[in-house]
Amino acid sequence: MSTRPSVSWQKNPALAWREIDHETVIISPNDSVMHELNEAGSFLWKNIDGKKSAAELAQLLAENYEVSADIALSDTEALLEEMSARKLVMTIPVAGGARS
Amino acid sequence: MGLRNRASLLDLMGHVQAKLIQLPSLRGMKEVGMRLLSPRRRAPGIYVRSKLNALPANPRRGSRQQFELSIGRVPLRLQMSDRQLFIAASERYSAFSDSTARPVRIRLNEGAPRESVLPEFGYEFEGAVLSAFANEIRFDGVENQYALDSMIRVFLTWKLLSHSGFLLHAATVMRSGKAYIFMGRSGAGKSTVASLSPEGSVLTDEISLLRRENSVWRAYGTPFWGEFRAAGSNTSAPVAGVFRLLQATENRVEALRPVAILRALLPNVLFFSAEAAANRRLLDILSEAAEEVPGYNLAFRKNRSFWEVLPP
Repeated sequence: MSTRPSVSWQKNPALAWREIDHETVIISPNDSVMHELNEAGSFLWKNIDGKKSAAELAQLLAENYEVSADIALSDTEALLEEMSARKLVMTIPVAGGARS
Repeated sequence: MGLRNRASLLDLMGHVQAKLIQLPSLRGMKEVGMRLLSPRRRAPGIYVRSKLNALPANPRRGSRQQFELSIGRVPLRLQMSDRQLFIAASERYSAFSDSTARPVRIRLNEGAPRESVLPEFGYEFEGAVLSAFANEIRFDGVENQYALDSMIRVFLTWKLLSHSGFLLHAATVMRSGKAYIFMGRSGAGKSTVASLSPEGSVLTDEISLLRRENSVWRAYGTPFWGEFRAAGSNTSAPVAGVFRLLQATENRVEALRPVAILRALLPNVLFFSAEAAANRRLLDILSEAAEEVPGYNLAFRKNRSFWEVLPP
């Protein structure tokens, strides 16, 4: 499943998170589950700001890590899917766009 | 973030794909609290006579009595009209009686507060309801000392957020003027550690209270005890380290890096708020502890010899 380019991603506002040792620990208070992101995941997490699309996030990843654009995009999309399934992130349609 | 990571492509793929590790053990975080809130049978001989600064005893139900106590330097004033509960509670917390200028006033069983005002923090457990308003704390439906004990624990977890503190499912043992914190779920060995420690050195065998004061983490005794059973000791000491208990056939300590300490702390923390801001504050406090307090895995045999491998 590919992420639509017309949506941007935001963090679930109900969460608590903290970067420590270059990793990110995320607490989801409603179900008392802790999630962890490694360094590259933390880099993406920090850049999820409610404005950037998966493609833009992937581009940032490719600019900061030695990884090809293709792989950066597929890894970014996979991470977003996974985090979305865990309700850590959600999409918001770009202004004027239809809801998916 | 212009730093160029030198990881190879394969490494990076591994990294990103290893991305999320869910720790199912944390699912127990709330249950830990819930289980602790279960009423316990009273063991004979735990409670000692009270010499508290109670108001003059009045046998007539309906007049309010109060006593003041301090747990982890959080001063509380409990006010109640139920004489039986008053006697039980003042005995229960006798070792923690204290009188300070500005205690947090807690009113017990005084009826529902104004409905138009939402509490800053609320919690309900088996019919007992805690409501923390900006200028008033209420515990309602508290029928016995066990329910009161539960309410106080829940209240403390919330109140300690403003004191850089938290409650931890752990035993605290004093040694050479420092507090050693042994954490783990039931069966991990907290009570065993407590029973293998010299008499008088155990601050709690069940619920430890840690808070940061003047840049130093201190552990406080609490009146919340498990199997070991005692009235509790209202003293404190700087924390030497936190130890995650693992039972083994040999004694061994392994130092943990901060993220691993945080990972070890979280499933043992008592916390009852699902509110995002409160959880963010908690995570900040725990992260600070994980970065400032040494943490270890402690594999130990069930005898005193484990002390020999502990760092000084």
